[in-house]
Amino acid sequence: MLQTLLSSLRTVNGWVAILIGVLLMACVAFVLADIALRQMGSSLGGTDEISGYVMAIATSWGMGYTLTELGHVRIDILRSRAASRGRALFDLFAMLALSGTISLIAIRSWPVLERSLANSSRANTPLETPLALVQAPWLAGWVWFAVVSWLTFIAALALVLRGDFDASEAAIGTYGELEALK
Amino acid sequence: MIAYLTVGLLMLLSLSIPVGIVLFLLGFGVDLFFSPFPLIKGLGNLVWSTSNNATLIAIPFFVLLGEVLVRSGIATRTYAALDRWVSWLPGGLVHANVATATMFSATSGSSVATAATVATVAMPQAEKLGYDPKLFSGAIAAGGTLGIMIPPSINLIVYGFLTQTSIPRLFLAGLVPGVALALSFILITVLICSVRPSLGGERRVFPLREMLLALLQLVPIILLFTVIIGSIYKGWATPTEAAAVGVAGAIVIAAIFGGVSLRMFSESVLGTVKITSMIMLVVIGASFLNFTLASAGIGRELQDFLSGLGLSPFSTILVIVCIYIVLGFFIETLSLMVVTIPIIVPLVVEMGYDPIWFGILMIVLIEMALITPPVGLNLYVVQGARKSGKMSEVMLGTIPYIIAMLFMAAALIAFPQIALFLPDALQ
Repeated sequence: MLQTLLSSLRTVNGWVAILIGVLLMACVAFVLADIALRQMGSSLGGTDEISGYVMAIATSWGMGYTLTELGHVRIDILRSRAASRGRALFDLFAMLALSGTISLIAIRSWPVLERSLANSSRANTPLETPLALVQAPWLAGWVWFAVVSWLTFIAALALVLRGDFDASEAAIGTYGELEALK
Repeated sequence: MIAYLTVGLLMLLSLSIPVGIVLFLLGFGVDLFFSPFPLIKGLGNLVWSTSNNATLIAIPFFVLLGEVLVRSGIATRTYAALDRWVSWLPGGLVHANVATATMFSATSGSSVATAATVATVAMPQAEKLGYDPKLFSGAIAAGGTLGIMIPPSINLIVYGFLTQTSIPRLFLAGLVPGVALALSFILITVLICSVRPSLGGERRVFPLREMLLALLQLVPIILLFTVIIGSIYKGWATPTEAAAVGVAGAIVIAAIFGGVSLRMFSESVLGTVKITSMIMLVVIGASFLNFTLASAGIGRELQDFLSGLGLSPFSTILVIVCIYIVLGFFIETLSLMVVTIPIIVPLVVEMGYDPIWFGILMIVLIEMALITPPVGLNLYVVQGARKSGKMSEVMLGTIPYIIAMLFMAAALIAFPQIALFLPDALQ
């Protein structure tokens, strides 16, 4: 059950990451088109603005993938010296700190979207993008990250309580750079 | 507040909490204890404005560029081509290690990917041709660090973003010290291998025809680099646009040399998303900490602290260098950079130093952190790829290159113009 939860989180985030890749490639194409058009004296305009939105959305949605791939950097100088039980405690504590902080970010980000919705704010640019249109998916990414981190934390906690330290380490341990090469 | 930051930082980091989260937690602490008004209300806006940023999208673009080049086998071809050109020197293939690492660091932002690729391709050759494993692997680890100095460098983008300095100027400032460092690596290898030829393995001279053919393989990479850097400095493109052009260029090169496949693409994309989000969590955390520190008045406190110490600006820089060397034993590149920028850069600027120059000095010191044990990412990457022998061999092998880096740091302090003359001249 726990393993299914963890592996499906990983699969879903993998697909999310691929979608982010598509979004980034689309942004590359857009920027190139604009550079080409500029040489011909016209311009699509707003590449900077759109790149910014793409970056905000790509960043918030990519966080969950990086988490399930154990990609968020940690300094494991003390942790790596502990036995497996001790390492599990380090990992659980780190996950708890992460889940709490990310939840706080998600909660504190809501007012940003709320204000844009209430005022129907538009970007102060030629495109006049309705901000809610881009802030909603951005916020959803942070909420998703918070959900993924809590679910991962709970699953790992259950694994540790069961004494399955190997499985918990695979879910929330640190990423060996050596494994990265395989 | 400075004491709180230092103690809090070291404590939270050693608890192995993710670095980005540590920065947020420190920011919450500053808000709670030192700020007269609640700063946390600004958290959402800060996260939005930090990530909604057209400059930072250069990060995933440059990472993607490097991933495509490495995963499509272009790096491997480059290594073989460079081998034809440098293997006649004392030290032979060791120079190909440094040169490949340098070229890829020039086009991509990823030190680790570069070191991993070169190590995977080069190691089998080393045994066959009788190279000393220490020097050989040390050169790969050290060469891989050049990626964060030679533009386009992701670390310089992050530095520019967090310190509000011009990224094109930083890129130009990194060019000369980066190339000089690469040349000094080559020089030091020639010296070592002239004194002790047994370390250098077999020297080989290739026929001219083969050399010229190899040159053809190098042309696309050199062209790509020229286009990226040239268009930024000519003002045709912003760093972001140049990065987008770079991605397209990399895909075209990969397609010409037949390395494009759906699998390669999805691997490159996944690698890019992973690295980008890793970087961005740290960057957003750092800008939140920056914001709380500035609001709580760190500037004034730093000034008091400095005048209390009574050190001259020069001795302060020396102290800072020592701090980086020591921290570099335990903390890695981006983390080391990002956790120290909010505290150290205002201090350095306060003393009247140029933030562009300091950025380059900091990069040299951080490059050193990549290859100093016990925590030196490139050491592990190279060791992981070579599959035999002891870790300590790689560590010993990097010593000559660490010495070269120390010389470079000293040279930068003595002659800031090494970094500054190019951006000044081209302004």
